[in-house]
Amino acid sequence: MKGIVFVKFNEFIEELWGEEFWDELLNEADLPSEGAFTSVVTYDDQELFILIGLVADRQNISVRDAQFAFCKWVFKEFYNSAPAGAHDFEDVFEFLYAVQGFIHVEVKKLNPNALVPEFKFLSETSNKLSFHYISPRKLCFFCEGIVHGLAEQMGQAVNVSQSECEHEGGQRCVLVVEKV
Amino acid sequence: MGKLVLSEIKSVEELQKRISLLEGKAAREKKARNIAENQLERYSLEVYQTEQSLKKALAFATKKQLELEYLSKASMGDASELPLSEMISNMIELTCEYCAAQYGFYLVTKNGVEVEGTLDNTWSKELGWQCQSELQKLVNANLPLSEADVLESWIVSTLSDNDAMHFGCVLYMNFALSGGKIGWLAFLNKKESFDEGIFPILATARDDLNSGIRRRLTDIHILERNVQLQESVYNLEIAKRQLIQSEKMASLGQLAAGVAHEINNPLAFIRSNMQVLKEYIIDYKNLHDDIKSELAAHNNLDKSSFITLCEKVDLTYIHEDSVALLISNIEGLNRVRDIVENLKSFSHAGDAKLIQISLNKCVDAALRIAGSVFKYEHQIDNQMNNSSPLVLGDLGQLQQVFMNLFINAAYAMQGGGKLSIWHTEENQRVIIHVKDTGCGMNEETISKLFTPFFTTKPVGVATGLGLSVSYVILEAHKVQVTVDSEIGLGTTFNLSFPVSI
Repeated sequence: MKGIVFVKFNEFIEELWGEEFWDELLNEADLPSEGAFTSVVTYDDQELFILIGLVADRQNISVRDAQFAFCKWVFKEFYNSAPAGAHDFEDVFEFLYAVQGFIHVEVKKLNPNALVPEFKFLSETSNKLSFHYISPRKLCFFCEGIVHGLAEQMGQAVNVSQSECEHEGGQRCVLVVEKV
Repeated sequence: MGKLVLSEIKSVEELQKRISLLEGKAAREKKARNIAENQLERYSLEVYQTEQSLKKALAFATKKQLELEYLSKASMGDASELPLSEMISNMIELTCEYCAAQYGFYLVTKNGVEVEGTLDNTWSKELGWQCQSELQKLVNANLPLSEADVLESWIVSTLSDNDAMHFGCVLYMNFALSGGKIGWLAFLNKKESFDEGIFPILATARDDLNSGIRRRLTDIHILERNVQLQESVYNLEIAKRQLIQSEKMASLGQLAAGVAHEINNPLAFIRSNMQVLKEYIIDYKNLHDDIKSELAAHNNLDKSSFITLCEKVDLTYIHEDSVALLISNIEGLNRVRDIVENLKSFSHAGDAKLIQISLNKCVDAALRIAGSVFKYEHQIDNQMNNSSPLVLGDLGQLQQVFMNLFINAAYAMQGGGKLSIWHTEENQRVIIHVKDTGCGMNEETISKLFTPFFTTKPVGVATGLGLSVSYVILEAHKVQVTVDSEIGLGTTFNLSFPVSI
């Protein structure tokens, strides 16, 4: 996973629980990278999962909630530093449709080896959109948080759920976004 | 006091803890910075290597582009319709530029000796085509011009003894031209060699040039053959016309007796009429003399005497008969004139220029000429009239065709019979039917009907060319011919003419 995610996770944790908590997390996690994160390097995904697991333990919240909270927060950060054009969208559904044709293309330009998920859209009504989330990383909870962050950015309220989830015995992950 | 010390101790502990936290953070930051810097260095190296490989790729692509440009222009010239000399000039200009030579040359040899060609046979980019005799000498001295064989590839030869001119080498090739001549292309270079990479490309260009030359030489050969063929066609056309004319004259020969009879007949009765008219003139003279004597004797001529004198020479009869004789003479002369007219139009060679003609008139004229071949036992039923549409044709030639058909019909009906001529129309065509009630023909005769020199008539009676020549004429008129014949019953020829619109 790109270093920028770890850097942002560091900022997120410090913002919520302070530098000491982050220091304790790193000491306990004993990561191969020793927590020396920089945005220009790629780190093992597992390091992030270890850190999230420790946060969940220590703060007594579920891993899913921890992932969800971080992703909702981090979307705003990424959105602000995204290239021009990414800010032209005013609707959650519109943005989600543009993710593969625009956002992921921009990501690939910068990082040809970046592993980006694929969205396969299944159905859409005026207030409900469902799509198949396909990624070997299985970060569907991350995706839920990202969609929430996106909705906040667009000034829209949404419910995000999964009608099927691989983490819960499903064959695939299907995200359902409903405008409320 | 103790409380203060405790709080100070606690503060110190906190500070130490804080220091330790910040040290840890600083260490991580430092490590992260080192990692980032190393990463950046790797990126820089990658960028540098990428740039180098891009430069190489660009140079390679530029080289390939030049090669392709050279080959495509050279092969376009070879495949074009440019004359040989222009194609070779084009090749020299392109090759000179491609192999970065200073001068390009073209010369032609035969039996090892240079053949006088164009004066300006030296090309340079700066000066264009010029005569550079010194350079030409230098090149000639270094080319194996005495070799009679065509070289298998391009050859580079290092130059010697040209201190003043400072040329390092000459690149050359040759190719076969027509008439045992050999063409040579040569390129002078200041350097001692050419870039090795150009030779595969030059080899391809050489193959293209050779095929271009072969094609042009073949084209010239084909052109020559074409001219010969055109001459043959022209000669054949003349021979065909002569044959048609000869056959016409031969037919006329067969008809000569009949035609002579046709002319002699009116001539005989005109002569006889003239004889009678001559006698009538003498009667008039006698009457005149009698009137003069009567007047001299009596100085008067009364009515009864005049009537007596007139009755003496039978003047009333003379008057009536003279008019009849003159009318008969004029008719006879008209007949002679018509026969001569028809003979003239028939014997005219004709230049096969087709004009609108009436088939009715054509059949009439042919019947008049061939009329003599039909005897008393023959019946002629000509149903042709002015209603038959006009066709495009040569009157004389078509008369010849019909005359042949009539002569053959008469020959087939030696014991007498009926010749019928009529026309029908269908699908913009007018069909003339010529039917006789003669002996008819078997399959074999029908199949040979239009074969030259085939005849069923005795030797000396016919040439055997009549129908074959007729067939040639009819083909030229786009006429379709069918024949229906039954032994013992007769034959019908059906000639289908396109109607002239």
